Amino acid sequence: MAFRLIHDGHAHEIEVVRRRPRLVLRIDGVEHIVASLGSGADGDDALEIDKHAVAFVRARDRDRQFIRLHGHVHEFAVADELAEEGGGEALDEVRSPMPGRVVALTKAVGESVARGETVMMIESMKMQLSLSAPRDGILASLSRGLGDSVDKDEIVARLEIPSVRA
Amino acid sequence: MPERARDEPVLAPHAPLFRKVLIANRGEIVVRIARTLRELFIPSVAIYHAVDAQSPHLVACDEAVEIEGEAPVAAYLDIERIVSAARAIGADAIHPGYGFLSENASFARRVAAAGLAFIGPDADTIALMGDKISAREFAAKHGVPVAPSVRSNGDLADFARRAATIGFPLLIKAAAGGGGKGMKIVRAERELAEAARIASSEAERYFGDGRIYAELYVDRPRHIEAQILGDGAGEAIHLFERECSIQRRFQKIIEEAPAPNLPPEIRARMLDAAVRLARASRYKNAGTIEFILGADGRFFFLEMNTRLQVEHPVTEMITGIDIVRAQIEIAAGQGLPFAQPDVVARGAAIECRICAENPDRDFLPETGVLHYLRKPEGEGVRFENALRVGQAITSEFDPMLAKLVTHGADRDKAIDRMQAALDDLAILGVTTNADYLGRVLADASFRAAVLHTDFVVERTDALRAPPDPRRLRLALIAAALGDANFRDVITSVPDPHATMGPWRN
Repeated sequence: MAFRLIHDGHAHEIEVVRRRPRLVLRIDGVEHIVASLGSGADGDDALEIDKHAVAFVRARDRDRQFIRLHGHVHEFAVADELAEEGGGEALDEVRSPMPGRVVALTKAVGESVARGETVMMIESMKMQLSLSAPRDGILASLSRGLGDSVDKDEIVARLEIPSVRA
Repeated sequence: MPERARDEPVLAPHAPLFRKVLIANRGEIVVRIARTLRELFIPSVAIYHAVDAQSPHLVACDEAVEIEGEAPVAAYLDIERIVSAARAIGADAIHPGYGFLSENASFARRVAAAGLAFIGPDADTIALMGDKISAREFAAKHGVPVAPSVRSNGDLADFARRAATIGFPLLIKAAAGGGGKGMKIVRAERELAEAARIASSEAERYFGDGRIYAELYVDRPRHIEAQILGDGAGEAIHLFERECSIQRRFQKIIEEAPAPNLPPEIRARMLDAAVRLARASRYKNAGTIEFILGADGRFFFLEMNTRLQVEHPVTEMITGIDIVRAQIEIAAGQGLPFAQPDVVARGAAIECRICAENPDRDFLPETGVLHYLRKPEGEGVRFENALRVGQAITSEFDPMLAKLVTHGADRDKAIDRMQAALDDLAILGVTTNADYLGRVLADASFRAAVLHTDFVVERTDALRAPPDPRRLRLALIAAALGDANFRDVITSVPDPHATMGPWRN
């Protein structure tokens, strides 16, 4: 089996080569022997990899994991199979890629939008950014109004597929 | 010494300087100011907006008052509510911290009108120094070097003609500005008219005041500032200087004291100019006079900050002087707590501003939730913060999360200690610049003290995190083993071969 994690926009595969007598994982084509699995919990944890003790700190968010190891913070997300296949919820969501403030609403709830069409504009650090629809649909909800601030990765609007009349 | 009578109560040596002080700010600086108030036996009052109700800055004070406001930032800028809160709770002084209302002359005036002490200068001094044009005219009049400049009088074509006589490159700035808004570098005469038009319209948009001025632009300048204390009666002293050249987007991220490799003769003239300016303005409070220093040794007045500075701890560490305490004593009418010969600098200190921002994405602010915090500690280490695990880091406020400050016998030792402290620091749940700051400290130019305000931009490539595939693979293993599904596959699903034991194969 392979497990995929996204780091800095790139997917990395973690394959289980063997579990016994020692766990062997293959990551990006390189095998590592993992002798001690650590606690798996948040906070200080330690592994033994290739006969070296590896201490690190872990924290988890809903969909992210932060690992501080050898003085460097890494941020990971579990690869979402549905999103990658082009279906699923991700395409119903309009997300803000950075924190900012809503400076313009260009669509109202109930209006139809085309893929790539701007739904709202946010301003951050004097830069204006348009947030656009990831696919064709109807604007189902807007969670932020003019002048509101938005967080990074916040879902600011949702789309739905128009229901087909019988 | 005469023996004290048995029934005589133990008293603090003096009556407290104020009955109660309200701190009109939030976050780390409130914790910092409250620490000194406690040492002075003065009760402290925090203010907060509902979004900060869990903030450690409330716990740091003896009392806390909620200030309502539509936007959280508006609460900390609400002059009327803050002054009413101070009066209602029985405070007789307000410390404004830095940012927010600290350099707002109307606030200082309102505080005084309410019969409270403003721990800062008079409103008129704030107003004088808050306007770039009046500040530089005042400085020039008192023999403080200012860069050659011209100002607009409404006729932009005439402004451009006069500005061209300064020579190039030159810098166009908003008179009312700050924070880099409305600033333009002009390198040739043909760019001048258009740049002036844009700067003026930006100044109008950001500050409601379209007045601009042009001044000589010093290429790759150092930013050096003098810390002064003034008693309000014409006496002032300096607490040496700080080097603040490591900046991004015109904002400091690393500061140190003393300024390294500063020729003693230049230091002496700079500190002398700063003290002269403070005396001439009959300055009352701690203040900072900022200069730019060119490679040719010429330095020019930049501006005066009439408040406690974010980076004041580096000065405290080399001088052993509590600047907040000095502010309070001066505001209470005690005069200067020291004479110039009493102020001695020892060793070197450095400060890193830990910000929620992504250096790989042009230092854009980041948001998140603080899930894990490990604070550095140890001898010669100060970690100024008001952080709490579970705290949401939003875009409502400035992205600075904390300040890490270290002291050492010399610059190298202070930096070594900072590197160790940055290693100890762990903030997880929001992207920060901590790793980036570590790379700046390790940079050969930084270590050699080749400092100027374009450092961050010029060394962008050198300061990028080098790829470390092995470290990334180890972190991927750690992350995979932190995933419940992956861990289940590894640990709990029975492996038929394993149950038979390896010897049977």
